[in-house]
Amino acid sequence: MPSLLNDPAAWSRIQFAFTIVYHYLFPQLTMGLAWFLVYWKWRALRTGDEKYNQAARFWAKIFGLNFAVGVVTGIPMEFQFGTNWAGFSQYAGGVIGQTLAMEGMFAFFLESAFIGALIWGEQRLGPRLHFLAALAVAVGSWISAYFIIVTNAFMQHPAGYRIEVDGLLGIDSLGAYLLNPWAWIQFAHNQMAALVTGSFVVAAVGAFYALRGLHPAQSRLYLRAGTIVGLIASLLVAFPTGDQQAKMVGKHQPVTLAAMEGRFAGGSMAGVALIGQPNVSARRLENPIEIPGALSFLAYGHFGSFVSGLDDFPTESWPDNIELLYYSFHLMITLGTIFIVLMACAGIQTLRGRLESSRWLLWILMLAFPFPYLANTLGWMTAELGRQPWLIYGLFRTSDGYSKVVSSGDTVFTLIGFVGLYSVLGLLFLLLVGREISRGPEEEAIVSRGGEAPR
Amino acid sequence: MIATWYAVVSFMLIVYLVLDGRNFGAGMLHWLVARTPEERRQVIAAIGPLWSWHEVWLVGFGGTMLAVFPKLLASGFAGYYLALFLILWCLILRGISIEVGGHINDRMWQGFWDFVFVVANTLLAILFGAAAGNMARGLPLASDGTFSMAFFTDFTPHGNVGLLDWYTVSVALFATVTLAAHGATYLTLKTEGAVRDRSARFARVLWATTVPLLLLISVESAAIRPDLLEHAVQNPIWWLGLLVTCAAAIALVSGLVTGREMLAFIGSNVLIAGLLATGAAAIFPVVLHSTLAPENSLTAYDVAAGPKSLEYAAVWWPIGFALATAYFIFVSRRYAGKVSVPRDNQGFY
Repeated sequence: MPSLLNDPAAWSRIQFAFTIVYHYLFPQLTMGLAWFLVYWKWRALRTGDEKYNQAARFWAKIFGLNFAVGVVTGIPMEFQFGTNWAGFSQYAGGVIGQTLAMEGMFAFFLESAFIGALIWGEQRLGPRLHFLAALAVAVGSWISAYFIIVTNAFMQHPAGYRIEVDGLLGIDSLGAYLLNPWAWIQFAHNQMAALVTGSFVVAAVGAFYALRGLHPAQSRLYLRAGTIVGLIASLLVAFPTGDQQAKMVGKHQPVTLAAMEGRFAGGSMAGVALIGQPNVSARRLENPIEIPGALSFLAYGHFGSFVSGLDDFPTESWPDNIELLYYSFHLMITLGTIFIVLMACAGIQTLRGRLESSRWLLWILMLAFPFPYLANTLGWMTAELGRQPWLIYGLFRTSDGYSKVVSSGDTVFTLIGFVGLYSVLGLLFLLLVGREISRGPEEEAIVSRGGEAPR
Repeated sequence: MIATWYAVVSFMLIVYLVLDGRNFGAGMLHWLVARTPEERRQVIAAIGPLWSWHEVWLVGFGGTMLAVFPKLLASGFAGYYLALFLILWCLILRGISIEVGGHINDRMWQGFWDFVFVVANTLLAILFGAAAGNMARGLPLASDGTFSMAFFTDFTPHGNVGLLDWYTVSVALFATVTLAAHGATYLTLKTEGAVRDRSARFARVLWATTVPLLLLISVESAAIRPDLLEHAVQNPIWWLGLLVTCAAAIALVSGLVTGREMLAFIGSNVLIAGLLATGAAAIFPVVLHSTLAPENSLTAYDVAAGPKSLEYAAVWWPIGFALATAYFIFVSRRYAGKVSVPRDNQGFY
């Protein structure tokens, strides 16, 4: 094993991991929040009730900040395919380039043409077109997610490709590539997770206002929408989408499933570890507390099903960071379970009309919003660490994918640059979002009356 | 097929540079044409709602290039490593300076972000200009079709070249002045009052400055790459580009002289597009020219994806482009006319 300090692939992996994790903090909120905006704009259109417009206007500002940071941190992602992963781009560009280009052509153009209209254009557009702008942005953001997930699904479970005469990959069937079954399940799971983030954030702001006794009408709106969508999305993210995703991993990447569960010895009646620390060098899970048979049942449908362990596979095919993979997966599951319980309590109180008087629950809702971000990140870490040592599962190794002409010195330089720039960006973002939230949704009404009349 | 894809990919980059070029230019002149905080909000409002729409053309270009010319992206992006990251960081700073600046109505806050806005836009114009110069001059391409380039070596455009040498610096200078002129032409169209008048003056002076600079880089290009002109005169697209450039120059000049702001702006867009198109036509079919040994050079045919990938792309690309054109019309109509700060500011104060 080359050490970290002289392995250029490692530095490029760290840089990509850092920039993608940071980037994805923003789109996950916009993809979830977009549908809240659509819903409120639609209610405003139907009922003419100004409170819905007020909610949409307030959240559009939060959305706009997230969108802007999402755009500026997203462009480096595409560029890094070429700058840091030239080997991969050269080998697979003929395939993955299709969806990256389609994302630009079909999703980003749509989103970016209408985002200005959504955030700045209320007075220029009028209510009906403004609703359509919200819808266009929401649809655009979800199309964008689909194309990116097709790209990732190809890396997890290649489909629709062929090997060209020069040994590089090309598309064989665009249909098979775009309709990769892995992509469908991953998309469903990921989008539900984005809705979880969106609804937790909406509910948290609602709880913040409710606890301080501010903006009661708006706060009720946020709490109601946030907890109901939050409950549905938290359930769907686990069943069926998360369950199906794990079954898919069990079917196509059995060594990954074994690593995710920290299972070294294969066997039937395989359990799910609730707690335990993988000791890779000793090849065992220490201090395990397991539900017997649960893994066999969840992955393959029967308690007696045989589940392979890591010992059944050669060490070269093991994911290269089993500990991190194991904890990412387990923490994600734990958080997902807590989300269901929390949102079930909040949903019941909402339906009973008592959420605003349940101060302890409001406190928890207010403080819970960072955790869906964490769970989303852990889910992606599970997917990406689980895929190792492959860049394209079974076809192309990560150690072959980095840019050979780029020295570690250059990669470390740009990584430091990103860490610095993104730290500043994060502080600014928190400052500005905090400011908008503390100013609240009602201030805006005064300002908009001072503006020009709609055309 | 491959020549068409070369045209498509070049076209997308040209659209990006023409669209975002106006923002680079407006950004460079921000302090010069707008003196008071209120005037400066006018400049930001002329860019604010549209910058991300412009910037995604760069993403569309990158994605399309990866799909049809994967080896070009792999070799070029890895080779331009540090320069590309500087561009990315400037794009990040430029974007947030627009978004963040308007959020707090405070002179010190906005003054700081105006500074970031000016610096990032200026650097972007210089960096894209230098990159264009590099494409014409060539790169230190090794026999395996890859290269790794320093920022500068000995400042000569031969052999083991760096990003910056006397030739690429002069192209960067030309690009910076041209984009500043383009931005001034745009601000003349979009703003009112003192900002408009100053922008109109800048547009005339800057466009006049581009003429000697263009002559200079033409002579330099002919000296450094004599093969380019020999190549170009046999390419009908090059002649077409030249014709379009001349027509656009006439439209621009008559627009500037007679005060027809829209005519001048259209002329400015087409002029820049025409110049870039003649450049793209002149280097074709070589996409990466080697300054070390001509036989290392990569042509569009060497870097293209497999035939079936290109066929599929030929199906969806026109659909995506038709949609993009529809959005373009929507955006242009919605944001037609002069900006109004109360209506088009970012709505935050």
